[in-house]
Amino acid sequence: MRDEFPILQREINGYPLVYLDNAATTQKPNSVIDAMNDYYSNSNANVHRAVHTLAGEATEGYESCRTALKSRFNANKAIITSGTTEAINLVAHAWGRANLSDGDAIILTEMEHHSDIVPWQMLAQEMNIELRYVPVQKDLTLDMDLFEAAIDGAKLVCVVHISNVLGVCNPVADIVRIAKENGARVLLDAAQSAPHQDIDFIELGADFMAFSAHKMCGPTGIGALLVADDAFSEMQPFMGGGDMIETVSIRGSTYQKNEQKFEAGTPRIAEAIGWTEAIKWLNGIDIKSEHERILQSARWLAGQLREMGMTVYGRHDDNDAAVVSFLHPTMNSEDLAHLLDARGFAVRTGHHCAQPLLERLEITGTVRVSLYFYNTHEEVISFVNYLSEILERFA
Amino acid sequence: MNYSAELSELIEEFQAIDDKMERLEMVFDLADEVNLLPLEDWNDATRVHGCQSEAHVKVGLVDSNVNFQAGADSKLVQGLMGILTMAIHGINADEVLTLTPDFATEMGILNSLSPSRSNGFRNMFDKVMSEIKQQM
Repeated sequence: MRDEFPILQREINGYPLVYLDNAATTQKPNSVIDAMNDYYSNSNANVHRAVHTLAGEATEGYESCRTALKSRFNANKAIITSGTTEAINLVAHAWGRANLSDGDAIILTEMEHHSDIVPWQMLAQEMNIELRYVPVQKDLTLDMDLFEAAIDGAKLVCVVHISNVLGVCNPVADIVRIAKENGARVLLDAAQSAPHQDIDFIELGADFMAFSAHKMCGPTGIGALLVADDAFSEMQPFMGGGDMIETVSIRGSTYQKNEQKFEAGTPRIAEAIGWTEAIKWLNGIDIKSEHERILQSARWLAGQLREMGMTVYGRHDDNDAAVVSFLHPTMNSEDLAHLLDARGFAVRTGHHCAQPLLERLEITGTVRVSLYFYNTHEEVISFVNYLSEILERFA
Repeated sequence: MNYSAELSELIEEFQAIDDKMERLEMVFDLADEVNLLPLEDWNDATRVHGCQSEAHVKVGLVDSNVNFQAGADSKLVQGLMGILTMAIHGINADEVLTLTPDFATEMGILNSLSPSRSNGFRNMFDKVMSEIKQQM
């Protein structure tokens, strides 16, 4: 598998790259790179309108991404966005503005990424909406009793499927059930789960699901919002422009009926074509056994780090992501990351865009190792060995 | 640019190192060169903004010579402060003001750091220089 990813052959400072920052973004296989290259070399044109050959190929390529998304995640509607952040903002503007009013409540959790907090804070300020935050408990799970207590009167529940800091997988099936029993719509931030799990959107029963291509071996700058049919019918156009209209006259405009209603302007054609290849790549993988394999490595790593005196933030249950966040008792995280980089190890440090969660954990940041399917256990062992060397020399 | 003998020697030492790890190790060691600014003196006025770490600097003039104190929660940042200490502490302010951050580039340390860290170094340098000017 590693041979398919050219960047994994790279050396950093004369050492083989050990890329352990996959929760931030994943690397791309040749098939994705080649498809994007081929599009620009042979098929570049704008989509949907023109009748010439290139336009046909571009349209077919772009729409193949939507088809691949619907098929992989079992969804009827897939709006292509610039990524998870835009997908969530789209729900806030296209659904929130049309369906929420003064005094309504939205439920969020303390585990959310900033991209699933800030759009709601902005909307709340503008529309006088109450935001209720479900706390994270000491065992790093959501307080489901308080979630149930908060659901009464809420119109929307926004929840992260898998935490980008902790790797904890939230009980989304229960959350959807409880929300539905109380008449609330559910938005799932699946940025970290869509790359790691097989998700059946219709079976899960959520109303919206947002995720990004680049965390699942696809290009940057593209993502999707899956929408259930009922919720789709409640959405009003957000951005106006070309491609989202049916007709325009000086007296007014009519809009497309399908997902294009929410895709104003020239879309990300090359990126969509690249993402289609990434989805094909993912479809060809036994995701369950690959996930188990890297989770085992993450569990082993967490154990080693604890033995080295680190505080590890994570529990690594079966559905959790292979993410290990940790802190050394005295050594500055960024210093550690610089030293790791000197030998080719790429990790992430900082608040990971989840400051409310870190505030709850009473820390300001962590060092985060996040694995993907091309990582090997040998890489994790070499990480531990080199980390021990760093601590001996610098701690 | 004419540097002091001490700074020129330091630049040469850094230039002689190819391995990034060893270069970082040397920056770490230079953390000991800092005249520590006590924690209780850290405040908004001493804070270096635009630095990812907590970094604080205080500059004074004693008989026209620069007195430089600093402190950070990162040893690497404190090492950078150590380099700045060797470049400016105890040296005549007029002479110090002729310095540019180029000496750090010549050492090769800025490209061993993340962009945020090297920006942080430049912010620290600018803050120190502007405070020296204010006090002259």
